[in-house]
Amino acid sequence: MMTFLPLRLRKPAMYSLAGLLFAGAWLAHGGRLWWVSVPALIGTVAIAARLYRLGGTDTDEGARAGSRADERQQLVSMRSRALACNLAAVTSFIGLTAAIALRAPWWWPFLVTLLITGYGYLFGLGSFGVAEEGTPDDADTESPTQFPVGS
Amino acid sequence: MRNRVREQRTQRGLSQAELAAALGVSRQTVISIESGRYLPSLPLAFTIARFFDLTVDKMFDPDDEETGA
Repeated sequence: MMTFLPLRLRKPAMYSLAGLLFAGAWLAHGGRLWWVSVPALIGTVAIAARLYRLGGTDTDEGARAGSRADERQQLVSMRSRALACNLAAVTSFIGLTAAIALRAPWWWPFLVTLLITGYGYLFGLGSFGVAEEGTPDDADTESPTQFPVGS
Repeated sequence: MRNRVREQRTQRGLSQAELAAALGVSRQTVISIESGRYLPSLPLAFTIARFFDLTVDKMFDPDDEETGA
């Protein structure tokens, strides 16, 4: 995604796109709150500019913002995302149980988030190699490779 | 896990930034490896060892506690 862009522009472009969608949503919402799209747009520009500036610095954060993270920086980023996902799942579970106990009508967003994080975890296990297919070493003896007899 | 990255780097008169550029990683990662806070992946360990003309087991040694020596 966005591989046609220079590395340093990728994160700012991604945040700009998300911000534009968010601002557009407020504009489409219309009514008395249409003006929220303006600060949303200003905030988007500010965040994109900050990310671009950060991407030029010689720091871990700069490497991530500039899409040039090495293996350690990617590992740190991955652990942070895993932690964020865990927190989202736990928070969703707490919210869902609280909403059920209170007979509140806002239970379903928590359920959706919980299902997405749960299925996302299972999808990750399937994608990243748990339960690898393959035969054990002993199976090799069933059809041993025939080597030519050396002279 | 102990390693000889700092020792080898200083012997060759390289800065952390120069070594990082040669290895294709960040300066912060070189600092983390030298201080033992980060264990590099196997490909990076081989890259480091080859850069210093050493084998991986000469470059990275398990601690005495881990080997029981």
